[in-house]
Amino acid sequence: MNKTNYPPLEPVLPMREIQGIVVPGFLKPHQTLVGVRFPLGSKAILNVKKFLARIADDVSTAEQTLLDRRRHRNMPRDPQQSSEFTSEVMLAVAVSYSGLCKLAPDASLMSSEAFRAGLVTRSRLLGDPHDGPGSLPSWVVGGPGKELDGLFVVAGNNRIKVSERAKGLVREATSTSIEILYCEDGDVRSDFPGREHFGFNDGVSQPGIRGRASNKVDDYITPRHIVSNQAPAAYLFGYPGQDLVWPGVLVLGQPGPSPDPLFPGLPTSALPNWTTNGSFLVFRRLVQDVGLFWRTMRRIAQDLSKKLGFEGIDDTWLAARLVGRWQSGAPVNRVPNGDNLDLGHSHYANNHFRFDSDCGKLEIVSGYKDNFPMSVADPAGMTCPWAAHIRKLNTRDSGSDTGGRDSTYLRRLLRVGVPFGPPLDDPYARRNQDTNFCKRGLLFLSIQASIEDQFEFLVARWMGDPSRPKMPGGHDILTGQNDALGENRVRRCVIFGADAQQAEVSTDAQWIIPTGGGYFFVPSISALRDVLGG
Amino acid sequence: MPIVKRFAPPANLPDFNSIPGQLEAWHKAVSNWFDIAIHEGESRVKPGRFQFYNPARFDPGGVVIEQAIMWNAFPKELLRKFGRERALREADTLWTLDRYYTDFHNMPVDRRRYPELFKTFFRPQNEYCEWHVDRDSRTNAILRVTFTSEPPELWYALFGSSLPGDKNKFPGNRHLALRRYQKLASPMASEADLIAPRDIRAPDTRYAVQGEYNVYNKWNTTRGIVHLTAPPNALTAEIRLGADATILRRNAAGRWLVEPGALICCARYGGPDRNSDPTIGAAVNALARQGADVTLKNPVGLYMDHIDLSGWELPDKRSIAECVRIVRGRPKMIERMVVEVPPERGLTVSDITIGGVPISYGGQIAECITVKLVSIANMQNPPTCNYPIRCDGCCCLDPHHPTALVTSVSVKKALPAGRYKAFVNQGAAELPAHLVRRDRFTETSQTIPATPSSDSSLRRRTV
Repeated sequence: MNKTNYPPLEPVLPMREIQGIVVPGFLKPHQTLVGVRFPLGSKAILNVKKFLARIADDVSTAEQTLLDRRRHRNMPRDPQQSSEFTSEVMLAVAVSYSGLCKLAPDASLMSSEAFRAGLVTRSRLLGDPHDGPGSLPSWVVGGPGKELDGLFVVAGNNRIKVSERAKGLVREATSTSIEILYCEDGDVRSDFPGREHFGFNDGVSQPGIRGRASNKVDDYITPRHIVSNQAPAAYLFGYPGQDLVWPGVLVLGQPGPSPDPLFPGLPTSALPNWTTNGSFLVFRRLVQDVGLFWRTMRRIAQDLSKKLGFEGIDDTWLAARLVGRWQSGAPVNRVPNGDNLDLGHSHYANNHFRFDSDCGKLEIVSGYKDNFPMSVADPAGMTCPWAAHIRKLNTRDSGSDTGGRDSTYLRRLLRVGVPFGPPLDDPYARRNQDTNFCKRGLLFLSIQASIEDQFEFLVARWMGDPSRPKMPGGHDILTGQNDALGENRVRRCVIFGADAQQAEVSTDAQWIIPTGGGYFFVPSISALRDVLGG
Repeated sequence: MPIVKRFAPPANLPDFNSIPGQLEAWHKAVSNWFDIAIHEGESRVKPGRFQFYNPARFDPGGVVIEQAIMWNAFPKELLRKFGRERALREADTLWTLDRYYTDFHNMPVDRRRYPELFKTFFRPQNEYCEWHVDRDSRTNAILRVTFTSEPPELWYALFGSSLPGDKNKFPGNRHLALRRYQKLASPMASEADLIAPRDIRAPDTRYAVQGEYNVYNKWNTTRGIVHLTAPPNALTAEIRLGADATILRRNAAGRWLVEPGALICCARYGGPDRNSDPTIGAAVNALARQGADVTLKNPVGLYMDHIDLSGWELPDKRSIAECVRIVRGRPKMIERMVVEVPPERGLTVSDITIGGVPISYGGQIAECITVKLVSIANMQNPPTCNYPIRCDGCCCLDPHHPTALVTSVSVKKALPAGRYKAFVNQGAAELPAHLVRRDRFTETSQTIPATPSSDSSLRRRTV
């Protein structure tokens, strides 16, 4: 029998200190975002501080959120608790740099250049448009002169309860002279829960956080599903293919990554001290022009299907190549020729694939048998193009322009956002046929320890770059932007046909339109109560 | 793909065109570097065939795929070693050559035996792209940042010198080389400045031979920049890395290695903490695993592919594009590039902001530059590949400072005290059935240190 490394003992995280939106993350179907500005003047700020200290006790901790998550997992077997469960509402508080400066003078010691500069200043770096819809002056929230000081996230399983809590919060805040600049609901799609508005299953490749909730040796925050004799996979993944990242990737002051994913790195820098166990939250309000997306896919697919090697392809085939998954979430590397709903819905299988090498079967604790076709090596991106959204954001076993696989771990972030607006019934509808045009999209929320190394790196350096992380590539046509001079925002990428025929796909259609957001810090519970509050 | 009749100079630079016999000599030298790398590799992959080929001698046929391999220009070794803030400072600073050994390889150097190493400067920018920052002596503002990816081999050849330890001869033209220096670095450069006054010896190599071309001359180090200086930044290293990376590897458990970190530590074909070497090696190895024959595209070279200007702004809000000039090469094959604000705008590079942050170091610009080489893969049907061989080395980590891998050590040697082996059993995949042989495998086991944290609940778990 092979001996192998044992995994390191993972740290016990201070679950009552870390906000639940950070660990394990709110993954709730209904959310309301409330954006605020704090008043000026020392007396008014004193009232704000008292308000924040008061609501610190209402903020959901990692402990409460994990408990909720575990109950959710057991819900089908525990129906009696389900009504109580659905009524629970969670709350998170995040503060921007301008907000922190009003509340904590030493906020200027925070080293994050991006956080201090704010999203408005960094918008150009992300490739946002300079004019028209999506440009800063037309932002709905957080635009120039309207930057938020704080963001409250109210989340839960029941829309009515979430809205009630949000209204109560707004009332309380307003009575403390806090100005409400923004309030918006986000809800999972009623027709396809879990899918974003283009119709793709979203959040399939979320990382899992390493760490334990208590001193119990196996009280892992992220459950382990691979049989322990399947080393090292059992120590590298939660579900097969779900990367386990050291908590410092998401939480300041906790052990970060090292070059070897099984070795903990040094704790992520946390200055000033009260930022320990805090995190950064990026909010982007992204409008999705669904009709434009699918009409463009249909047009390009029709043209492409006349070329050798691409005969018979349609818009769903093309879109799947640009995403890297079929709409169900099934990875094209496992089922290159068509969607497979069962694969797409299986947590045990839909993330179990590699890019550079063949992928073998793994033994699962629950006894689950993964009988779907295994992925085969695809180093040049002939099946899943290098420009595909999922390959741009997670290079898995491949190298990248920043070296080995460790650089992938460093870039992972936790997405906790939710769609907004009603779904579009006819995906090819034109603007004049769409009564809710520009009223649907994604309230993108991401959690990370470094805005520069994670969110901005992924958006600016990989998604928006035609040659990184690897060639033959192109832009992430799905969500990337091209702000390069003289290129008129045209995004291009290379895809392959049945017999390795190369074709370029290009479009200037802008179906993702940034319409606001901000960079925020999510303080620990004690920092919220004692430093920002109090 | 047709046989390469003549290896052209990188980016088809025209320097050799007017020198009789120079282009032929360059072709012969590049071809020879391929042959040497192939000869050394071939002896290692028996049984099986060596999958790296000299395109001037052989056309393996098959479906041809061109794959550019990209990496970021800012040295990741410095980032890992020092963190970004200090890495930016260090990267803009010249180091003496002894630090190449002490800082990058943890290898002490005897000052009495190798005194020249302590007086010779290089740039610690080891991602095949280097830069030089010119500042205003009064205000310290950055006036100009000059980037190069030109390999030293090109300049040995232009000068008519042989590389230390290399038998290839080049006619060269010292006068022309000097004229290029005067144009690129300073009109004050003289021929004598470019000649090594004495040998520069190191424990493992000779960096300069007395009377021959001196890579580390002042116009290419302290007073300017003409071509690459860091010891690993060479065309010959690129060819050797390409060749070595086609050799398939297996770990002690008999699984073949597939991931960049595990591969480079096992094969020892470059720096595991760099952006470039792990990804070049892994990309080539992945193609070789698919049974492809692999080579490098002519003209063989190291190039800056592009500079990403997203988020760059100047206070006058005018075009930023005119602040970037390609001086040698062309877009996608850039050998020399200058970042400088046109004088009539009355601003400096320090006035440029990236995402609102002013440029204070050349390294901030390097972070926006992508470097590349271009590989060619000939996909064969049916695919056949060499039989994976065992590891030559392994990497280790210092558990008290686990930010960087300690350069790969030979498997024949014991791990340095207090260090832990990295990537044990990781980065591997099942061997295809036709490559499985009855080997006796010896597994290693070790204890992974506990999280370096003050959390008292963490104790080292023993095996």
